[in-house]
Amino acid sequence: MASQNDRPAIADCVLLERMAGRNERALGELYDRHGGAVYSLALAIVGERADAEEVVADSFGQAWRTAERFDPARGSVTAWLATITRTRALDLVRARGRRARALTRAAVGNSEGLAAPIAPAGEAPDRGVERQEARRMVERSLSELSESQRRIIELAYFCGLTQTEIAAELREPLGTVKTRMRAGLEKLRGSLVPFLSRGEP
Amino acid sequence: MTDHRWQELAAPYALSALAPEERAEFDAHLAECVTCRAEVQAFREVSGLLAHAAPAAVPPRALRERILRAARQVRPIGAPRGPVLPWLAAAAVALALAAGYGYWTARVAQTGLRTALDSARARLDSTSQLVAAILDSAVGTADLAATGKPPSMRLFWNRARNVVVVAAFELPPAPAGRTYQLWAIKKGQAPVSVGTFNTPPGGRVVVTLRMPAGLKPDLSAVTEEPAGGSPQPTQQPFLVGSWQGGG
Repeated sequence: MASQNDRPAIADCVLLERMAGRNERALGELYDRHGGAVYSLALAIVGERADAEEVVADSFGQAWRTAERFDPARGSVTAWLATITRTRALDLVRARGRRARALTRAAVGNSEGLAAPIAPAGEAPDRGVERQEARRMVERSLSELSESQRRIIELAYFCGLTQTEIAAELREPLGTVKTRMRAGLEKLRGSLVPFLSRGEP
Repeated sequence: MTDHRWQELAAPYALSALAPEERAEFDAHLAECVTCRAEVQAFREVSGLLAHAAPAAVPPRALRERILRAARQVRPIGAPRGPVLPWLAAAAVALALAAGYGYWTARVAQTGLRTALDSARARLDSTSQLVAAILDSAVGTADLAATGKPPSMRLFWNRARNVVVVAAFELPPAPAGRTYQLWAIKKGQAPVSVGTFNTPPGGRVVVTLRMPAGLKPDLSAVTEEPAGGSPQPTQQPFLVGSWQGGG
């Protein structure tokens, strides 16, 4: 579905280079490509739109200020942005003592998991096709995990819980949580490899 | 290299799901193990894609402009907006030199006088803003030190603008794949990240970070963290100091 025409003409890491040279249009382009995904991630963690906007603004601000330190040899722009966003979102949740609420929200989504509600096509603000393909890929990969593996990964990813905290939350032995988290992530890595390898240089 | 126990930690580490002690241990191991660093990197990519598991949401249109506007304020290009007092300009120049901004002159021959002037003007403007932020009334300060010996750091917190100006001295650049992270600490609560930064080879830098809204910290501290920063400190801080005044 995603043909060559749908792929951005300029690689993400080139945008970062331009941002390091204080090129604002490159920042705008980066936002157009990743803003929707970054906002969705922030919203899934913080739960409120105003806070999510704050996190997104701060994350792109950080990307702008630190663009010159981005090293493409150490990973993709997608992973870098996601790390920044997740860190900021989890910080905000902690700063506001909202963790309990985040957990409650996660618990509500229990049966289908947080990954369940995929928005209808066309709603995505980013370059649609590519992001939709990524979403489908991730959704499919997650659906191949066991219920328990998926739940454990989601608690870590969206609620910022450590393995010890997850064990307490789920009333499972720590060893079980560790094994399942690792097995789940290994499996995701295996099924997402095609997507990872053809992404960026 | 083939130690299985370490490799098992790479996946949860990339998700920041290790308990603090385990994480600190693994951090130390990462510093000397290429294999595990590569493993962590691979799982960070997986973690990056997991962002797509979040329910799709559409950011408001105004957010794009807000981000671009903020970016313009970080390093404004063009003439200063208002008159700058002579003494403030002098202070700005002094601070610019102190902060190591003087190297632009070396590029004149290559890029032409005009570019150099624009860039100098932009830097002077951003430095003026920096000075204004520091000299505002109700600015809190904190001196961070490692028991009297270098490195050291001075923080200026402008509450009205919600910015923290960080001036670091004799702080060598963080190792490859690592960064420095500044924390704000309210006694009895978990540290909150103010942001990450690094230093040039000279070990001296001035950066502006944002204090998380609504936070009134007693202390600030600096740790070394994996690139991108950590949700919580993974090491004992090597610089600590308490906040004074401004409130």
